[in-house]
Amino acid sequence: MSEKKKWFTLDLGFNKKVPTASSCGCGKTSGGCGSHEAPSPSKNEHAMTAEEFDKAVEGTMVDETRKDGFQQVFDVKMDRRTAFRKLTASLLVGAGAVQTSCSVIAGEESKEKAQIDWEEQFKGNYKLMTQEERDATVDRLVRSYQLRKKENIKMSATDASKNVLFGYAFNISKCQGYMDCVSACVEENNQDRNSQMQYIRIHEMKDGEGFKFNEADDNYYHEVPAEGHFYMGTQCFHCDDPPCVDVCPVQATWREEDGLVVIDYDWCIGCRYCMAACPYDGRRFNWSKPEVPEEEVNKNQHYLGNRMRKKGVMEKCTFCIQRSRAGKDPACVEACPTGARIFGNLLDPDSTIRWVLANKKVFRLKEDLGTEPKFWYFMD
Amino acid sequence: MTELRILLGFAIFLCLCSCKHTEGEYHSLNDKIEEEGKKYHGTNISSETYIGDIETLEITEGGHTFLIPERKGQLKSYACTECHSKPLSEMQNNANAQRAHWDIKVVHADENAMNCATCHNGNAMDHLKSLTGNAVDFNRSYKLCSQCHTTQFEDWKGGAHGKNIGGWSEPRAAMTCVNCHNPHQPQIESKWPVQFNTQKVKERE
Repeated sequence: MSEKKKWFTLDLGFNKKVPTASSCGCGKTSGGCGSHEAPSPSKNEHAMTAEEFDKAVEGTMVDETRKDGFQQVFDVKMDRRTAFRKLTASLLVGAGAVQTSCSVIAGEESKEKAQIDWEEQFKGNYKLMTQEERDATVDRLVRSYQLRKKENIKMSATDASKNVLFGYAFNISKCQGYMDCVSACVEENNQDRNSQMQYIRIHEMKDGEGFKFNEADDNYYHEVPAEGHFYMGTQCFHCDDPPCVDVCPVQATWREEDGLVVIDYDWCIGCRYCMAACPYDGRRFNWSKPEVPEEEVNKNQHYLGNRMRKKGVMEKCTFCIQRSRAGKDPACVEACPTGARIFGNLLDPDSTIRWVLANKKVFRLKEDLGTEPKFWYFMD
Repeated sequence: MTELRILLGFAIFLCLCSCKHTEGEYHSLNDKIEEEGKKYHGTNISSETYIGDIETLEITEGGHTFLIPERKGQLKSYACTECHSKPLSEMQNNANAQRAHWDIKVVHADENAMNCATCHNGNAMDHLKSLTGNAVDFNRSYKLCSQCHTTQFEDWKGGAHGKNIGGWSEPRAAMTCVNCHNPHQPQIESKWPVQFNTQKVKERE
């Protein structure tokens, strides 16, 4: 497309341009991509009479056609009138599908579930949603959980506040490798228990040898701090110029105004480009369906944060967006018994994080990459 | 001549356009923090509720004002004068008196530098005592620690040492020295990590 649009729009003939086959999101030019259901099959490629249209709607048709998939709909010359008819037809078919699937199972709850699933399936990218749409999807997710698990969760979609830019500092001399942060993070953010996914890694490194991540041990189990070693933690650094965001082909991850790099789990296609692009090993992938025992689920959730994920999507540290946007410290900061973790507002000149940046000798990892991580390390 | 003028004009144009400050973009994160920090007028986010049930008191040290947990209410046998009704010298001389505080062992610096009397005043047990003999309230015991541990004190005031309580926003609350360190044995003992990732071991086999 010549214009830089973030969404696909149907050419209704206003521009007198013939839409080309390659305009499908899947990029395939021949055959069906499967991403669009055939709403109205028509043997006549170029025009459609009113009778044919009515017949198609009535019979909810499934006809053999030479072209299938999106081509049936889009690879035809049509006027505005026909286009609207076709759209109506596809909507009717869709509605019919929901109707039938519901009536087979019967029962109010299953109908509602199906309705929620349907609406969730076809919702847009979170970034493009209006406030009403955001509230609606949050309500749907809460209701869906209620219907499925018979438990109530509290989910918010709080936006970034003005005058806030989150930053983090990590004191290498204070960290003792207790790993309280790792456990607290897992519990707070509902990470998969089966694969033992963890956002934070604590690296045990030898004194006097510098940062050698390849030689460091991030899964030790002995009394800590170990003689002759120091500890440093890594997680998502919430870069100000995040490479993971640039590579995402579907814009399912982005940097918010308050500096948090977040993921829309429902828009993520699981291609893991971001995982490859991240120079800090900050991102995690759900190879299987994340499982959390019901009694351990953290019910205080955020749409962009610790709500339950599904199989095949990326996730990572969000500086506990559900907590930080409400003014609370992230779980790792709260759990750390040593005070090695410092979190705050970079724009507030009186904040502790600003004091650390101004008064301690701070550094960041791979600064030369220009990713501008908002995660600094320092020593006493 | 005209060429030169055009060239000059172009150079000025470039200078004006190359800096993106007006578009809200910055050369570096530090520039961004500095520039946007100038407009900072506070947020409407409060962290007050996250301090919880902890009794706090406000202190101001070196230009930093923040809350620290109240201490006296946490001490099991405060006020000390409930037992220490007489000066220590008189109580110790009494052969029939019960021995108290037998479990307290001082492992803090060495005997030349410190003993009980460095911080406690045998004649006025309800208060601590500075090196020069001034009374220091139990709630402000950090004033004793800071007599020797000056760098830690600086870091603590700024927020680089010690643990923050509750949230990142106003009001700031932080643990004080004795909330983490036992003043009699300030060294923190080693312990085992709270978790071990067995799955990671499998993955890396």
